[in-house]
Amino acid sequence: MNATLRTPTADSARDAHLSLSTDCVADSAGGLTFDLADPGARGDAHLLLRLRASDVDGEPDEVRLPLTPAGHGRLRAVLPSSVDLPEGRWDAYAEYGASEPRRLVPGLNDLRSLVDRVPSGARGHVAVRIPYATKYGNLTVRAWHRAPHAEGGELYIGDTELTVHGRLFGTTPTSDAYAEAHSRRQPALTHRADVTSQGADFTCTLDHQALAAQPGSWDLWLYPSGAAGPRVRIARLLDDVADKKPIFTYPLTRLDTEAGPVDVGPYYTTDNDLSVRVVTVA
Amino acid sequence: MHISFLIHNAYGIGGTIRTTCNLASTLAEQHDVEVVSVFRHRDEPVFDFAPNVRLRHLVDIRKGERGYEGDRPEYHSPAQVFPYAEGRYQQYNALTDERIADHLASVDADVVIGTRPGLNVHLARQTKRGPLRVGQEHLTLDSHSKALRNQLRGVYPRLDALTTTTEADARAYRGTMRLPGVRVQAVPNSVPRPDVSPADGTGKWVVAAGRLAPVKRYDLLIRAFDRVRGERPDWRLRIYGSGKQKDRLRALIDELGLYNHVFLMGPAHPIDPEWAKGSIAAVTSSLESFGMTIVEAMRCGLPVVSTDCPHGPGEIIDNGVDGRLVPVGDVDAIADGLLELINNDALRERMGQAALQDSERFDPARIAERYESLFHDLRGRTTAIGRVRGSLHRTRGTLLGSGYNARAALHRGRRT
Repeated sequence: MNATLRTPTADSARDAHLSLSTDCVADSAGGLTFDLADPGARGDAHLLLRLRASDVDGEPDEVRLPLTPAGHGRLRAVLPSSVDLPEGRWDAYAEYGASEPRRLVPGLNDLRSLVDRVPSGARGHVAVRIPYATKYGNLTVRAWHRAPHAEGGELYIGDTELTVHGRLFGTTPTSDAYAEAHSRRQPALTHRADVTSQGADFTCTLDHQALAAQPGSWDLWLYPSGAAGPRVRIARLLDDVADKKPIFTYPLTRLDTEAGPVDVGPYYTTDNDLSVRVVTVA
Repeated sequence: MHISFLIHNAYGIGGTIRTTCNLASTLAEQHDVEVVSVFRHRDEPVFDFAPNVRLRHLVDIRKGERGYEGDRPEYHSPAQVFPYAEGRYQQYNALTDERIADHLASVDADVVIGTRPGLNVHLARQTKRGPLRVGQEHLTLDSHSKALRNQLRGVYPRLDALTTTTEADARAYRGTMRLPGVRVQAVPNSVPRPDVSPADGTGKWVVAAGRLAPVKRYDLLIRAFDRVRGERPDWRLRIYGSGKQKDRLRALIDELGLYNHVFLMGPAHPIDPEWAKGSIAAVTSSLESFGMTIVEAMRCGLPVVSTDCPHGPGEIIDNGVDGRLVPVGDVDAIADGLLELINNDALRERMGQAALQDSERFDPARIAERYESLFHDLRGRTTAIGRVRGSLHRTRGTLLGSGYNARAALHRGRRT
């Protein structure tokens, strides 16, 4: 027999892994509850959220939430929607006493209340936090804070135009409202589109041919009260999908331009903002 | 009882591994259970076996580990015992032959359970005298090639029992394999109670989950959803899973202009929280050897609209009570089935409740009980008739090779 029994080291590694597995429940107000096994460590226990250094300049931002006993050998931390969490990716750690924080891994994420979420926007802003598993299998919370917020909804791709339906939170569109596409390669280059609105719902239609003239990405902005008011990036944030790009995908439209054929189509950026891509066809 | 499972690779991901993990972990509450994995390719199993399940491997194929054995010459000579017509024959070799033989010759157990045809062959031929030999069939007889069926026919008579996941497959084994003295019994796969609370049935979402493979016929589901959208544009469809069909399905969604309604979500693990976001589950396969996802969805409180394909769905779903069975390959019938539940909130809620109740029969505790009573029956039988019968029977099986007709007659005579 050459078979080996599981080694004690492997077992303790597995136990350690289990103690870092964190269940996350989202509420419809944008709050999150974190649950994990109590390792029985000494000292104060905290759930530490650390904003990725790549997302900010200088020192990483940190938020410490007390981990308190929740019965059945579990610890719980609550991140209410009222706690301000700047936009970015917040890596989750457990911190026991003075010991080095340990990176948490996702357990069960119950995000059903986020799926068709309609926030009130009553305080002029929308806060979104979606926990997700990173490509290395760790637990991170993606946070957005938009004041106001223009949520992208159904898109319709016609032969000559792209129609965007959306909803505005935190303010109301006026009769001066318009949308604008900004070329990323040529910041001075913009393309304006009329906006029609009904209550908080808005619709704008962008002309494919106008966008096709400049290859690269066009970022879509809403000006809910015209040039004098704020500009709002159109984004899709209000559901349980942390990374929209691979899931909300749309067909491309082939167009002829003076510089040759191009493919035009909408997409969501890695920040879940709505843009239009114009790609030269080789 | 000492119960010993033999599995291809307990460290991977897949239906057989998951269901073995569930069963072994539940049996371990009452019994001494070990899971012997022929291969080990990573340090830790993906599924959480109960801590008191002893998990070990026979051949270490972790590259870079001190115990790595993939470079041994025996590892590269063909297997003699593992049947060549088995789907995983290429992965087996002289080293696995030897290790499995050694294991089965010395196994300290009352029951030995094989989890795929090739391992059942090892079990039938090489288990020392004493333990009950139980072979599990997680696929179906008609999915095996003629060559494999012939190989199995020669050795399966030396098993004490063969379990299938459906009654339909058990009937197929009894009807076409002639396995004298072998108890052929259907025991469905188990699915534990989910850790999330059941769906409340209010979300306007249809959910499907599985490999994006041709057999799942997600193309039919997407086409059916085109009709659903026409009538109920407020409902949408999520399909979880990955696979080779992804690009084709993506193209179909775009061609039908369903990009606001149908979403390819990619793989999700665990899947239960995703079921809980939906209100109806859909299965449009042309073949389901069991139908694990149907049970999973039901355990999350979702009524399932499923094609009535061979073999499992019809045995899981009580048509019109806890779900809806529709004809295979029929887009309109799938759309009708979905719209029936979409358009009738009370019916959907009632079926969801029924699905929750009816799927409790697949709880690991209940399935483990069925295995326990099978083991007790078999032990009673072997003790009553005596061990001699078993060993004679096995010797005869070896000697007669393909002479199973005569043997069948002999055993039929003895049993009556």
